[in-house]
Amino acid sequence: MSIIIDVLTGGVRGGTSILYAALGETVSERAGVINLGTEGGMLGGALCAYIVCAETGNPWLGVLAGGVAGFILALIHGLLVVWRGANQFAVGLTILFFALGLTSLFGASYVGRSIIPFTPVKIPLLGDIPVIGPILFNQDPIVYGSYLVVPLVWFILFRTRMGLLIRTAGERSEALTVHGISPRKVRILAVAAGGFLGGVGGAHLSIAYTNTWFENMVAGRGFIAVALVIFASWSPLRVLAGAYLFGAALALGPALQARGFAINQFALHVVPFVLTLVVLAVLGRRTISAAPAELKRVFENGPPDP
Amino acid sequence: MTVTTEPPAAAPPLAPPPRRSAGERARAALPIVARWAAALLGAVVVFSALIVFKGANPLEVFPDMWLSTFGRPRSVSEIVIAMAPLILAALAVVVPARAGMSNVGGEGQVIVGAIAACGVALATDGTLPGPLVLALMMVAGVAAGAAWAGVAGVLRLGFQVNEAVSTLLLNFVALDLLLFLIYQPWRESAAGQPTTPELADAAKLPLLTGSTVHIGIVLAVLATIAVFLVLRFTRWGFRLSVVGGNAEAARRAGMPVPALLLSALLVGGALAGLAGVVEYAGVEYKLRPGFGAQIGYVGFLASWLARHRPVPVLVAAFVFAGLAVAGGSLQLDAQLPAATVNILTALILMAVLGFTQRKARRA
Repeated sequence: MSIIIDVLTGGVRGGTSILYAALGETVSERAGVINLGTEGGMLGGALCAYIVCAETGNPWLGVLAGGVAGFILALIHGLLVVWRGANQFAVGLTILFFALGLTSLFGASYVGRSIIPFTPVKIPLLGDIPVIGPILFNQDPIVYGSYLVVPLVWFILFRTRMGLLIRTAGERSEALTVHGISPRKVRILAVAAGGFLGGVGGAHLSIAYTNTWFENMVAGRGFIAVALVIFASWSPLRVLAGAYLFGAALALGPALQARGFAINQFALHVVPFVLTLVVLAVLGRRTISAAPAELKRVFENGPPDP
Repeated sequence: MTVTTEPPAAAPPLAPPPRRSAGERARAALPIVARWAAALLGAVVVFSALIVFKGANPLEVFPDMWLSTFGRPRSVSEIVIAMAPLILAALAVVVPARAGMSNVGGEGQVIVGAIAACGVALATDGTLPGPLVLALMMVAGVAAGAAWAGVAGVLRLGFQVNEAVSTLLLNFVALDLLLFLIYQPWRESAAGQPTTPELADAAKLPLLTGSTVHIGIVLAVLATIAVFLVLRFTRWGFRLSVVGGNAEAARRAGMPVPALLLSALLVGGALAGLAGVVEYAGVEYKLRPGFGAQIGYVGFLASWLARHRPVPVLVAAFVFAGLAVAGGSLQLDAQLPAATVNILTALILMAVLGFTQRKARRA
């Protein structure tokens, strides 16, 4: 029993950074733009949050700084892709390299610096519920924030005018043009707003999860987030489930090792990736038909001719 | 500046592309040259501003970078050595791109290529003559890279999973496979670093006579020429560009579109697998964590810098290899982290991707 609680607790803790990034990516892809630069946005967010946290001692300002860093990097992605018409995959990887370079330049002096990170806060009453309590209600504040952000993103996307604009930009951008709204502006803002969430995800990594800064610490989580959004067929609620699944798979290795099972952690680490591929294959047609129309164009054409 | 010179029309007979005179081409190229110059200058200026912020003087840093990159024979050899896998990894993107596909999986294909090569080396374990082992490693690496890309091809054709997504995910599967192998079954010793045993000297890629450069660069250049000729002059190459231009038209013209898409991915994967063999048998000699890191991604970007044309890939790979070596000198001379050079790389790419061509129709 305790192992299940350990794995699920670790799943929520480790999945939160991916969850934020994947929610951001959902917003971006709903507007018709794939942001592979999410990996870079998380990296930038992780470092900025760490720097601000170390300098001010206030982790909340760190979260904000992380979000802003993610916002700026995603804004660059949005401008190049939407305004300049550059290829989404190429620009996304470029943003990753940009973030890798910037974070190693500005992060070098913060390697080994200690910070006052977020710590788990047990919620009274809810935290005492057996099983669910330790898993969901004995976590750090950024995790609690994600419990609010998931329904919020869902509500904004599906129940507000802003969400309608975003989804229309991804489905039928002509409809926006007809109403005198620039689909480009909507897309760029959606990508940048999604980047903010990705930056917060990075902040969770550096100032609530690992509580250190080291080069390239995001280690593929941003790419996982991109895949996860497709896996979840662009639904914020399924993104939640997927992120915790990834988190749990990552937590399973250490949890087994701590109990003396000699297991090669990489055999477990690979599970979520293979699982995603299998699910994509099984859902294949259904996933593609659920994709925003503008995204389908990106998928079907591959790189457009320059 | 189009990838394909052939018109994507399907109705036979196919009209030849319109020829332009040399003068016309020169005049058309002038604004492009100006755009490139402005874009590159912009990248350098932004980079300078960033390093000034960290207390380095760009007026000293750039000449130092230039001198230590091109002024020393050792650096020049380093560039040539680094170019070989990059060229192959970029070609691995060029071929599928011709058919309109994004191969983001170079990273994983390079790794499985190296894993297969290492597997051959471990399995033969000195029982065969070195050159034969090397040849077998190449065959295995090429086959493994192709198979890895083939998974993405099957997923795309059979299950409509987009290849950009599947190749990206397969990168992580390959990375975990690598780590799994070197942390346990293939580990040289349980106590030491997690690496495989070193490749026997006889099975390493031979050096070009009188230099420290291994023959990988020759392989890479030959591969470039081959890809250029095949894409330009064979029926397969032509059909790929028709599929890339308009898959529906290609289908109606009776072309075997699925077979073409699959074969383009397989060839791409094979080239990336070869890059893995070259990196393993020419540079690293053992698998370790972080083996071949970023060769695939840099190759992807090099292909974009070259606008998916094989011959300019050589130039793009030279630029990235030069920047990587310059990164090392940045660390020595200006005490900035070597990865700082990624900023310059990214800025150049942003400038090239976003500003060297007329605005695309619509994003």
